[in-house]
Amino acid sequence: MEMVIVAPPAPGRLEDLKRRFFATPLQALLSLISLAIMVSTVWKLLNWAVFSAVFTTSGGPEACQAAAGACWSVIAARWRIILFGLYPFEEQWRSALACLTVVVMTVLSCIPAFWTGRRIALVWGAGAASYYVLMKGGVLGLSYVGEEAWGGLALTLFIFVTTCLIGFPLAVCLALLRRSELPWISRTTGLIIDGVRSLPLISILFTFAIVLPFALPQWLAGDKLYRVILGSALFFSAYQAEIVRGGMQGVPAGQEEAAMALGMSYWQRIGRILLPQAMRNALPATINQFVISFKETSLVVIVGFFEILASGNAAYGTGEWRFAYVEVYAFIAFIYFVFVFSLSRYGAFLERRMAVGER
Amino acid sequence: MISSNSTKAGGPAVRIENLDKYYGTFHALRKVNLSVERGERIVICGPSGSGKSTMIRCINRLEQHNGGRITVLGTELNDDIGNIDGIRREVGMVFQHFNLFPHMTVLENCMIAPTLVRNQPRAEAEATARRYLEKVRIPEQAMKFPGQLSGGQQQRVAIARALCMQPQIMLFDEPTSALDPEMISEVLDVMVTLASDGMTMICVTHEMGFARRVADRVIFMDGGEIVEQAPPEEFFTASQNERTRQFLSQVLGH
Repeated sequence: MEMVIVAPPAPGRLEDLKRRFFATPLQALLSLISLAIMVSTVWKLLNWAVFSAVFTTSGGPEACQAAAGACWSVIAARWRIILFGLYPFEEQWRSALACLTVVVMTVLSCIPAFWTGRRIALVWGAGAASYYVLMKGGVLGLSYVGEEAWGGLALTLFIFVTTCLIGFPLAVCLALLRRSELPWISRTTGLIIDGVRSLPLISILFTFAIVLPFALPQWLAGDKLYRVILGSALFFSAYQAEIVRGGMQGVPAGQEEAAMALGMSYWQRIGRILLPQAMRNALPATINQFVISFKETSLVVIVGFFEILASGNAAYGTGEWRFAYVEVYAFIAFIYFVFVFSLSRYGAFLERRMAVGER
Repeated sequence: MISSNSTKAGGPAVRIENLDKYYGTFHALRKVNLSVERGERIVICGPSGSGKSTMIRCINRLEQHNGGRITVLGTELNDDIGNIDGIRREVGMVFQHFNLFPHMTVLENCMIAPTLVRNQPRAEAEATARRYLEKVRIPEQAMKFPGQLSGGQQQRVAIARALCMQPQIMLFDEPTSALDPEMISEVLDVMVTLASDGMTMICVTHEMGFARRVADRVIFMDGGEIVEQAPPEEFFTASQNERTRQFLSQVLGH
């Protein structure tokens, strides 16, 4: 006898909803309650953030405080302090351009077409130079603005990007040294990594900012900002080194043997065979580390820098807008979200791109 | 460094004298002596743990020997990194688990060493790579990644990759042991072709049919020693040694 197997008809959307959420009376009840809570929450949030909110500065803080909803006028009135901190008001266009420079530089170096040594070096060299000239001035007719006056988003981005820029190569070096065949090298590196990881970031920042100048000669100490960035890069690299090492351990020993048997030198094996595969293995954890580092930049306030969160405090802290702190924090959270979410999506893009060879 | 003079000079391709190798306290190779002439095809067999893989891995310094001398193409293998690199350029190796680079296409796998190590222009390296991919009968897979190929195809790419360096000696470390049975012959066919071109080959394998067809000499190792060596005809039919006969009955017996 011939058997004909017919697949059951795919359930319609309504049918599917019914089966998932309204299968029994109890389940239906729970579903309805959850739905009610969700709807009411979303409604309240929308009502606060949009329908009853005040968007213009025309009425001043008083009109704002009287309104039932959010007072977005604080952002309209204070956004320049949040984004640029204590940077001189007349010169803040420079800080805005500098922010843009960092963003463009980062976006460019995320595009695969720029992944050759010369192009990346060009992008970073030009980007770093223009950021520095724009922010610090003193040349090209730009007035001088010292590092102590840098702040807001421009400072947050600068600290994050330079931390990664210094910390990442350092992490790769540490990871390579830790797998050295010479025991005294691998043990010393291990000790450094574990040592740095055992300290809280705040204490490292504090040491680099406040204690180090006493130990170093004047000419070597540099500005506090750069010492803080070095400290934060060191901290970043200790964690990232272990992530890279983990990625290296995931590369089979046969890969390096094959490269050796082909006559490739140590650096060719590292650069062309080991690291590309190790970085692919380490990608999810690396993105994670970048995200954490971005948010940890807010700790520099402890040594007196007005990065974006501290600038936000200053924005509502001056008397008349004191009541509007929720709106300021919501705005800052949104900025953080934009950057971190972009970073995560970029990580996902890289994973898809790198997975090509794995099929 | 191997100069072009010394590689073209006479003398054996590989000479191994009183080779000793320890893993900790385990004595893996015990005073092994072996000389391989240019153009000679050697098949090495023996039970697992007998030291056969260790021995051929010593020839290109994937393992460091603890005693004795290894001379490859007239150059002694010692701690001189220039000697090691020079020898590795002239000695190709094929592994049990292929060890292709998974993040590169088949073509890139074949081009990377010639461009980096021999400084060949890319166009020339690509032409060479395509020629050898043709030779191992998979020219159409050049743009694929290793993970998209079958085991037999991967191993043929690995052979092509080694040949692209235009080595004078090829080492095979159990090249068919990780393959599904139906893919063994496609790899062996390529190796037979290579042998008929006059390549110096040292093969660790249990493919006794291959040994019979192409080997000039079959070597049986056990317990870190070369127990017996003979031309295949004599080796398979008139072995003098009890251990060899026992091993052969296990390999050929079914």
